Amino acid sequence: MSNSVISVISRFLEEYTSTTPNKLKVVDAYLLYILLTGALQFLYCLLVGTFPFNSFLSGFISCVGAFILAVCLRIQINPQNKGEFLSISPERAFADFLFAHIVLHLVVINFIG
Amino acid sequence: MDRSRLYGWFLLSLTLAGAQAVTPAHHLSLADVARLQNLLSQPFTDLESAYHSVIGLTKLGAAVPDHDQVCQFIKSQLDPTSVDSIFFAAETSQAISGCEIPVSNETRDILLAAVSEDSSMTQIHRAVSALSSLGLPVVSKEVIGALTARINKEDNVMAITSALLTAARLPQQAEFGGILEEIEDLTARLDDLGGVYLQFEEGLEATATFVTAAYSLSDHVDMEPPLKEDQVIQLVNSIFSKKSWDSLAEASSVASAAAALSSNRFHVPVIVSAQGPATVSHSQPTLQLLVTDVMSQPLASANVLVESAYAVASKSIILSQAPFTLNDGVFELNFMSTQPASGYYQFTIAVAGDSRLVANHIELKVKVSTEVAISNMDLSVVDKDQSIGTKTTRVDFPSKAKIPFTADSHQNFAMSFQLVDVNTGVELTPHQTFVRLHNQKTGQEVVFVAEPDSKNLYKFELDTMERKSEFDSISGTYSLYLIVGDATLENPILWHMADVILKFLDEEAPATIQPKTLYVPKPEIQHLFREPEKKPPTVVSNTFTALILSPFLLLLILWFKLGANISNFSFSPSTILFHVGHAALLGLMYVYWTHLNMFQTLKYLAIIGSITFLAGNRMLAQKAVKRYVSQLVPDTNYILEGPLIPERKAWPLSDDENAADLRPLGSSSLPT
Repeated sequence: MSNSVISVISRFLEEYTSTTPNKLKVVDAYLLYILLTGALQFLYCLLVGTFPFNSFLSGFISCVGAFILAVCLRIQINPQNKGEFLSISPERAFADFLFAHIVLHLVVINFIG
Repeated sequence: MDRSRLYGWFLLSLTLAGAQAVTPAHHLSLADVARLQNLLSQPFTDLESAYHSVIGLTKLGAAVPDHDQVCQFIKSQLDPTSVDSIFFAAETSQAISGCEIPVSNETRDILLAAVSEDSSMTQIHRAVSALSSLGLPVVSKEVIGALTARINKEDNVMAITSALLTAARLPQQAEFGGILEEIEDLTARLDDLGGVYLQFEEGLEATATFVTAAYSLSDHVDMEPPLKEDQVIQLVNSIFSKKSWDSLAEASSVASAAAALSSNRFHVPVIVSAQGPATVSHSQPTLQLLVTDVMSQPLASANVLVESAYAVASKSIILSQAPFTLNDGVFELNFMSTQPASGYYQFTIAVAGDSRLVANHIELKVKVSTEVAISNMDLSVVDKDQSIGTKTTRVDFPSKAKIPFTADSHQNFAMSFQLVDVNTGVELTPHQTFVRLHNQKTGQEVVFVAEPDSKNLYKFELDTMERKSEFDSISGTYSLYLIVGDATLENPILWHMADVILKFLDEEAPATIQPKTLYVPKPEIQHLFREPEKKPPTVVSNTFTALILSPFLLLLILWFKLGANISNFSFSPSTILFHVGHAALLGLMYVYWTHLNMFQTLKYLAIIGSITFLAGNRMLAQKAVKRYVSQLVPDTNYILEGPLIPERKAWPLSDDENAADLRPLGSSSLPT
């Protein structure tokens, strides 16, 4: 049982490193960073408590929002998905990513207290 | 079938209306009449005040003092060229005897000239009244014509009232039809306040003058005015509710209205009131009523009758159709002769004798009071274990029991007695029957209620164990009182019956007797502010801050490993501007956190954001063009030097050629 899980994971990693373009790997690294930051914030909240709750929420939501936006960017610039995003060039996707981030940060800073 | 139904409804509504008829709430008592007279007897200042005073006093039936002086005054003040002056003088001289105003042709001409459509209503009224008082001839047709024309032009209440008064001075053969209708129109204009008052919004003087005018014209033409009984009573309430008058004009108008309502031919409101409180008892067995008109003058020819009287408590009818006897101006009825039980009785009284009487059915509540006697007062101390009374002592009112009673925790103190009516021997249940125990030393007082059983025998039992909290367990000698009281009792009783020594368990008694402090300042409340929440120690927070910043290091390492670089960074103005703008945006976020509010931030955001947007748009467009061109022409070595999808390679990448595939998104490259 565990053997098959390990073999699945190693195969997945192999495929990943060989088939994904570098651009996407950069974005994936960014996604990992965001994930870790969010997870650590949540851990802190679990350990120490929710005071001040608004700060925790804004930080956590900032991580979640950034993750989502980065995932959207990754989907949109992936050359394999070109057929589905004919009208959106990678530059346009990046511009949307930046604009959405500005709005997200506005809200997060407002809430952080 | 429908007709009889309608008739039935009509009768029903009539009876209902009759059942809720208005009763006079106000009238001029003798004191009010005296006050009115006093006001009207002030010394005159001018002709108008003389007019009001004299007319007012005459209407009240009071004597005008010193006729000669008044006459002299009038003659000296008279101005023969003014209609008003002639009017005041003529009316006043008519009221006092032996005073004649000299009349000249000019006077007559002036007065006759005033009777026309062009003069105001007041002028016409005064001219016609003056002509009539001075005995000069008046042409009715002209007057009525002028009045009718004037009513159309001056539609207010005072003008139409003046028209009515003027018409009343004309000879009886005149054609009054149109003028009489005005009474009904004016009645419709009265304001009904709560069903009790009916008055003009112009005030008391207007209402009172209207009443005077309506009745004087109705008497003159001998036609009943179109005022219903209820309306007459409501007018009475309005006019006589004010007991102090602002001006002589107001006072004389009230006096005229009072006179009109007392002595006209159609409606005379009757005021029935009890002399003193409406109470009868054995010492005072007669119910005395005063029956007067609105000016408190007794009605000579009245027959007063009790239509029915019933007891409020039992609703049984005591009297029916019993007449009052007139005794020295007061109507009397010996109610005690029917031997009523004590309590309240509702009387319906009718005043007859004159078809003009209005509001001649009234309801009166009469109280029959009596004296109470206490009989069979038995005091005893009963042992709890056996219900055999150990000591039963009979005490007679108003003496006191000779020996004090003792009761401790094993015994109950009991009392029973009866309350009877002295005169009839009937058992009574008054409202207040209290038993009061008063500690002579400490001043404590405890009050209990004694309640009657089904046979009207009062019983009271004091269980010392049960009631010890009320006494604070303080043993000692208590004085025992009985308190009996009721509205229908003439002799309320406070009787010190006996002394009772109560013994409580001494341990429970408080060391010092505390007076019950009810009205002292209460202990101060300290406000507890909200405690700030417990914060974790700074060490923990700092550790976690460092921990959270660590993934950023990881990101940088990964990016470096992947070969991301900024080697393709071009220094075109749009690029630089974009990066500067972007950095400024991040800076704005920080400043927003520390200093600004949302509105300021949005303002700066708009400015910086639009610059950044324009620059970024330009930059990205350039980049897009490059990419597009390079994809169209794959042989050119602009950017892409390898296939779009690289071949399988192990992680991490180490070849430099594949690193060239990658460009940071935020840069544009110059063709090599």
